Amino acid sequence: MKKLLSMILAVVMVLSLGAFALADDPVEINFWSMWNEGEPQAEVIAAAAEAYEAETGVHVNIEWKGRDLNTLITAALEAQEDLDLFEDDFNRIGQVDAPYTYDLTEMAEAAGYADHSYPVFNDFSIKWAGYLDSIVEQPNVGGVFYDKDAFAAAGIEAEPTTWAEFLDACAKLKEAGIDPLAQDGAYTNFSFYYQLVRHLGEEGIAELRENGGWADSEGAVAAAQEIIDLVNAGYLAEGAPDEYPASQNKIGLGLAAMVVCADYVTAEVNANTGTEVNWGLFNYPSVEGGASVAAYMGANSLAIPAYSEHAQEAFDFAIFLTTGEWGQKLADDCHQIPADPTNECTSLPGAVETLLAADAPMTWCGELNTHPAWQTMKDMFTELFEGKYADGAEFCAAMDALYE
Amino acid sequence: MKKNKTLIFLFMAPTVICLLLMYVYPVIRTVIMSFFHVESLTASTSDWSFNGLANYFKIMHNAGFITSMKNFLAIWIVGGVFTLALALLMAVILTSGIRFQGFFRAAIYLPNIVSAVALATMWVQYIFNFDYGLLNQLVTALGFEKVRWLGTDAKLWAMIAAFIYGSVGYYMLIYISGIEGIPKDLYEAATIDGASKSKQFFRITLPLLKGIVKTTITFWTINAATFYLWSKLFSPVQTEGSTIVPVVYLYDTVFGGKGVIERDAGAGAAVGVVLTLIIIAVYIVTEKLLKSSDLEY
Repeated sequence: MKKLLSMILAVVMVLSLGAFALADDPVEINFWSMWNEGEPQAEVIAAAAEAYEAETGVHVNIEWKGRDLNTLITAALEAQEDLDLFEDDFNRIGQVDAPYTYDLTEMAEAAGYADHSYPVFNDFSIKWAGYLDSIVEQPNVGGVFYDKDAFAAAGIEAEPTTWAEFLDACAKLKEAGIDPLAQDGAYTNFSFYYQLVRHLGEEGIAELRENGGWADSEGAVAAAQEIIDLVNAGYLAEGAPDEYPASQNKIGLGLAAMVVCADYVTAEVNANTGTEVNWGLFNYPSVEGGASVAAYMGANSLAIPAYSEHAQEAFDFAIFLTTGEWGQKLADDCHQIPADPTNECTSLPGAVETLLAADAPMTWCGELNTHPAWQTMKDMFTELFEGKYADGAEFCAAMDALYE
Repeated sequence: MKKNKTLIFLFMAPTVICLLLMYVYPVIRTVIMSFFHVESLTASTSDWSFNGLANYFKIMHNAGFITSMKNFLAIWIVGGVFTLALALLMAVILTSGIRFQGFFRAAIYLPNIVSAVALATMWVQYIFNFDYGLLNQLVTALGFEKVRWLGTDAKLWAMIAAFIYGSVGYYMLIYISGIEGIPKDLYEAATIDGASKSKQFFRITLPLLKGIVKTTITFWTINAATFYLWSKLFSPVQTEGSTIVPVVYLYDTVFGGKGVIERDAGAGAAVGVVLTLIIIAVYIVTEKLLKSSDLEY
């Protein structure tokens, strides 16, 4: 009897093992996210992953790596880490990680991705990598973000388009008892770069970066002088340039009206101050006879390693997350511009149209980023906003001294 | 008992292998890497190209590295003098038999058990805040104008002050353990001979603490050379010249940063080698200058 029982059990075990071996393993994709658990983006992504699994049976393993993912990802790709999808700045994906990324061109065509994305980001991706290597998750646009209610209280009816109109708006805000411009030290380089771009364009700045000659550049001297005049007129918020995010928070506290930044500043200020600012955005003002009116544009994007064995599933999840229903939820819950232009931008009206119309966006400080004295330059830009220089010529002479 | 060499070898093998793989190998690889042009940290050695001393020349002529070294020197010298002096002072006071010494010991050590992130955030967002910070409330209560504590001129010193606050307790405990190891009869004899407290400190305590002082100087040098977290927390968005330190420079050089796509692991390795040489040099100089006491107790 015992022998019979043992045989039956053995047969059952063998059959069970056989059945397991024959059954298809459910597909799993490994996703490294740049968000931290608990952040609004992380919550939407986690919910989208569950919905995607319910719909397709594909399980998404998400590892919340946080912002430092950008320092890990290249080494992970080089080491062929078990990874199917990751997030990073689209600039880094295109220029650093491109050799390890999957060519998404065919899958994108099959999915009709062109109708659900911004040409400007796709064009850059193709320009850098030679093919479409990323799917935009969080597009960003830069400019002057302002509190519409503060503008109304100061009697400003139209958004400034020129530097003269901008100064006029500052004067009206100051008269109304509102500090015109918030400025954190962390972003002085971005603000001054914008001013330089207006006078010189990014190519002109790249030339200065290479050869120096700041003091001989009328545009550079004028840009510095305009910032000095802005500071001397008392148009910066009290304490500015302050420690991030103290100054930008003043907009949420009703103490300041404008800030030069990218669109994520709106969600940050709202979250930090517990308010819902009535945000507006206008392009950084132009200057008379200037060289460029380009606006900053960037994106956090999703990419797939070239060696991924589940590239199609990873791509499908990326599209599932960034377009349609979940793309809208990402935009709404995270107060961001929708990655899919057919969705609605509820946090910043007009942002989608701006991105769709863009063809030559400005970068984040361009070639200056790679100057050997860039750290010192950034401090000098902050000093410019601190009022340390008597005039634009003195500032530019100090810049030239860095080349000696 | 006869020694079983095989058994000894087997017991030691896991530790020795781990040490060789996880410590010696990375050190050797880093030193070699510093003489090669290597873009990525994980690049295969076949992709390395010999660069001689070019990586060292590159960092020595880089304004960012020079600034970071200046900041490192400020942290090492100014921070070191204040931290070690304050720690020694606290240790002497707390071993002199004052009341509530247990409480004070715990209170001064407390910043060491609080996360450095929380501690730095408190300093940046509350104590140094321009509008409602503790320091500016004090300044305005005294009738002066608010100070921009985190402006480009003051930020490094503000960071060093906060770091000193977070470090004193650790060194104080080391000094306390040293002082408590000195026999009490030495002090009793000195008191009977009429030596004042200050004379006892300079003639007994300090000479017998030479070994401990050497240790704390070496520890502080390592702390200053590997200073990273506080610099990052005082420049949360991007690296800034006022707070950049060699390890942050190394990190940015190896991994890039916001808007920076250029990477140079070879130059980063050279920074690491330079820092290690500095620590070794300080150790040797300290050993030469502060010879251990011949006294036995």
